[in-house]
Amino acid sequence: MRAGLATSVTLHAVLIGFGIVSLQAPRAFEVADVEAFPVDIVPVGDISQVQQGEKEAPVATRPTPKPTQRQDPVENAQKVGEADTDLKPPPTPEAKPRPVEQASEPPPSPKPQPKPVEKPVETPQEAKAEEVPVPTPEREPEPQPRQEVKPNPAPEPLVAENAEGESVKLPPAAPVPQARPQPPKPQIAKAPERKEAEKPAAEQKQASRATKDDQVLDQVAALLNKEKASGGGAKRSTEQAALGASQATSGDKLSQSEMDALRAQIERCWNVPAGALDAENLRVSVKFKLDPSGAVEGRPEIIEGGGSGVARAAAESARRAVLQCAPYNLPSEKYSAWADVIVHFDPTDMF
Amino acid sequence: MESIELAAPGGDLSIWALFWQAGWVVKLVMIGLLGASIWSWAIIIDKWLSFARMRVALNRFEQVFWSGQSLEELYRSLSDRKTSGMGSIFVAAMREWKKSFEKGARSPLGLQTRIDKAMDLALTREMERLESKLGFLASVGASAPFIGLFGTVVGIMTSFQAIAGSKSTNLAVVAPGIAEALLATAIGLLAAIPAVIAYNKLTADAGNIASRMEGFADEFSAILSRQIDEKVAPKARAVEEYA
Repeated sequence: MRAGLATSVTLHAVLIGFGIVSLQAPRAFEVADVEAFPVDIVPVGDISQVQQGEKEAPVATRPTPKPTQRQDPVENAQKVGEADTDLKPPPTPEAKPRPVEQASEPPPSPKPQPKPVEKPVETPQEAKAEEVPVPTPEREPEPQPRQEVKPNPAPEPLVAENAEGESVKLPPAAPVPQARPQPPKPQIAKAPERKEAEKPAAEQKQASRATKDDQVLDQVAALLNKEKASGGGAKRSTEQAALGASQATSGDKLSQSEMDALRAQIERCWNVPAGALDAENLRVSVKFKLDPSGAVEGRPEIIEGGGSGVARAAAESARRAVLQCAPYNLPSEKYSAWADVIVHFDPTDMF
Repeated sequence: MESIELAAPGGDLSIWALFWQAGWVVKLVMIGLLGASIWSWAIIIDKWLSFARMRVALNRFEQVFWSGQSLEELYRSLSDRKTSGMGSIFVAAMREWKKSFEKGARSPLGLQTRIDKAMDLALTREMERLESKLGFLASVGASAPFIGLFGTVVGIMTSFQAIAGSKSTNLAVVAPGIAEALLATAIGLLAAIPAVIAYNKLTADAGNIASRMEGFADEFSAILSRQIDEKVAPKARAVEEYA
């Protein structure tokens, strides 16, 4: 018995030892990490159809943007702001003038190599700031340099070097080509921005004279432009701000009340033929086009019903109704939604 | 109730770690099952060896017995030695025979019964010795899976309690506790399967040996019966003649 016990204990010890050594943790299954993420379906109307207001204002029933200081009303102004006329770019604070000053300072300092990184960023700002307020005087000379710059890219660096040596005004443009060794690329990227600065270079005639012209132009622009370089709208507001976006986006769809209004307008003009009163299934669908003023364009088309006899009479009455009520009063900003209208006439609904 | 720490997901899942992470009930069950396994293997090895020895002894004894050697001599050579199997049956029968003849047998029928009884007793004792502890194998084979299952149920129960506490149904949280609990069933089966197989094999072997010894006992009984007849018959004839 002792031999048996000893053998058994040894056997088990060996087995357990083997198990501990060899039966390590089984290799984990390699499963691709796919994480389920929740998907919410949000009606896009909340985002696309927002009323005008402030982003951080409390929700209010009436769409009111931030109150403005100026109260003189401007016709057809859509954006709220202090400007005299509606301007496309958003109102910008006084950050703009500063980079212009910085841009003019660096040129005299004799550091051509570290600057190039800054200058290309600043020059466009300078150009923009000047461009926005004075559109007319500058537009005229612009087209010429653009056309000429594209065909011959080579002269650009040459002139740039010359300019560096010549005058103090030019340098802002001059280091740019040095920083970019590939000639075609910067042209495509820069052509619209450099406008004024590159003009002389591109023309390849008298660089200095061109810049002088430019300076004169700038001075004229500065005199003409009393408006701040910032954008902003001209719409005024007196009430407290309500939650909304800077501009009301009404979306494309006609609202239910607008559709109801249209339906009521057509119904008023609709004289149901007497014979059709008891005739069921006299449904007529009329399709017609409207122009932006609300008038019917062309002849309303009957796309359903109007087969013969009473039905035709009903269809004709429907068409007449559409034409009679002609100028429809619908929101012009949603014109795309009501340019084509299909109206279903159902006599059974009327009575 | 002690708090149960769930294995960290992706933690150590080796056998040893599983054992170490288990609760004390499961640990106790595992240790008990391991002990049962060790003991049953000890029995298996012991029985296997003793059965082999017994078979060898039986063969040798049969060889000697049927070699034509005088039974008296054989008895003399075996009586002072420790015998087993057929040898002990033979010795028991011969002892009874000798005792009866030394004191003068009164009835041949009584002698025959006494010898048969003595041989039966020796056979039973031998079989008892042969089959001792096989019962343990039977109980291990029958109950170890249940004991393992008990450990598993307790382990899963506690691990589910822990999962409820951790408020996560992630499989990585659920799995280690269940794996650790299932280890108890694995050990139970590991102990039970060899025990069952060995029990069946050993009982069959024991039956074989028993039938061989019974056969020998019957044969020897027949031989002795003949001897008794040969020794008692002349006496009876003589008695008849005297009468």
